Amino acid sequence: MNTAMLAAGNPMNHVYQWVYQRTDIGVDLGVFAPEGKVTVFSNHIAMQIIAALLVILVIPRVARTRQTGDAVADLTPRGLGNFFESICAYFRDTLARPVLGEYTDRYIPYIWTAFFYVLFINLLGLLPIEPLLRVPTNMAFPDAHHGIGGTPTGNIWVTATLACCTLFMIVFNGLRINGIEFIKHFFQGPIFIAPLIAFLEVIGLVAKTFALAVRLFANMVAGHVLLAVLASFAGMAFAGLGTAGGVAVSAIVVLVSTAFNFLEIFVAFLQAFIFAFLTTIFIGQAVVIHHHDDHGHHEEHDEHMEHNRGTVPSQ
Amino acid sequence: MTVKRFRFLLILAVMVIVATQQAAWAAGEGHESPSLFEGDLGNVIVTLITFLVVLFALGKFAWRPILGALKSREEFIEKSLREAREDRKAAEVRLKEYTEKLEAARKEATAIVDEGRRDAEVLKRKIEEDARAEAQAVLERAKREITTSKDTALKELYDLSAHLATDVASRILRKELSPDDHRQLISESIEQIGKIERN
Repeated sequence: MNTAMLAAGNPMNHVYQWVYQRTDIGVDLGVFAPEGKVTVFSNHIAMQIIAALLVILVIPRVARTRQTGDAVADLTPRGLGNFFESICAYFRDTLARPVLGEYTDRYIPYIWTAFFYVLFINLLGLLPIEPLLRVPTNMAFPDAHHGIGGTPTGNIWVTATLACCTLFMIVFNGLRINGIEFIKHFFQGPIFIAPLIAFLEVIGLVAKTFALAVRLFANMVAGHVLLAVLASFAGMAFAGLGTAGGVAVSAIVVLVSTAFNFLEIFVAFLQAFIFAFLTTIFIGQAVVIHHHDDHGHHEEHDEHMEHNRGTVPSQ
Repeated sequence: MTVKRFRFLLILAVMVIVATQQAAWAAGEGHESPSLFEGDLGNVIVTLITFLVVLFALGKFAWRPILGALKSREEFIEKSLREAREDRKAAEVRLKEYTEKLEAARKEATAIVDEGRRDAEVLKRKIEEDARAEAQAVLERAKREITTSKDTALKELYDLSAHLATDVASRILRKELSPDDHRQLISESIEQIGKIERN
């Protein structure tokens, strides 16, 4: 049934954002607000809100520490809490601490949030709820051509916004922690090429952000398009090979789709991880500035390194 | 059984819903597809708001307890390890101390036993010597007493012999003897007895 439905339309329908409602803001901001209108509600926005609610409902519930009265038992999480905590501990101790040093605990909530928000969206996007929600969606928005469902991280606007949050974290915290040093860090090398280097550094910063957005977007779109194209083969087989051929091809398609769904679950985790990990590294690069030897700050450099090392407990 | 039936009914219901919706959708076909990059400022704002809400909500209700738990566990482990190390060090010191004490005690005990043995040896020897000396003394005394007794007995025997001899001689001779004869007879008798004794 699902296959026939997908076969009927464009496999890409599965990943598009289907806008249910727009509102007029009065100003045409070009690509940001074509004809002065902006999206108010769409399948992706619905999924984002569902993901946000789930994250807010689930994680605080499992994050509660046990109150058994036993000091050791209170420090050892169980069950789902252990699952979330072990991920958090991995990010904090293994990934963030070597990069962020003494600033780990200041930025780790942002990193954790980025990971779990993206992860929940990625995983929710894998649920085949769209066919089930067509009628309810149509009842709420008669003009809708697509039910609620899909993957908001397969929307470049969403991933770009998240990447811009990371860019903001990089620049804002770089300036806050290092002040003028952060700016100076852009101007490297001899005086006559320093502006050029700075220009390239700024481009690098933008490229990082852009890559962050596109990586997540492209990976999520690719996975879902792959699944939809696979499913469309079943429809094509029914149309071209008759019932027997259709059933035979469908059987293969179901098996392969199942395998690819497992792959997609892995990709959902992987891309959320990559997004959060790169965010960690970029913030680390901005916040913990390593002075280069040609700057003539040998002592300061060593001091800085010592300082960072001092905060990492020997393990 | 009921669970299986329930599951079957659920699957059937989903199939019916999807089929009816499929039919409903077919009527609406022919609309234009959006672009892959569909979106605008609205998405940006919604993403920002949801992300920030999640950030603050989790920051307050999830990350604070988790971070607290991680930190306290870290401190707990560090503290435990440090305490364990200190305890171990203290135990080693104490072990060394006790080993030394034990060794000293053993030496002392050995010394005491040796001394005891030596004392006992000395005592034993002394007792033996005393015993021997005492035995010797008893022997000496006995000898002396024997000698004294023998002398007394001999003297008594002389006296008795002299008396007897005189008596016998006077009886035999029945004559007056001059005191000189007496004396001569006596000394002869004594001489003879002395010979007997010597023999």
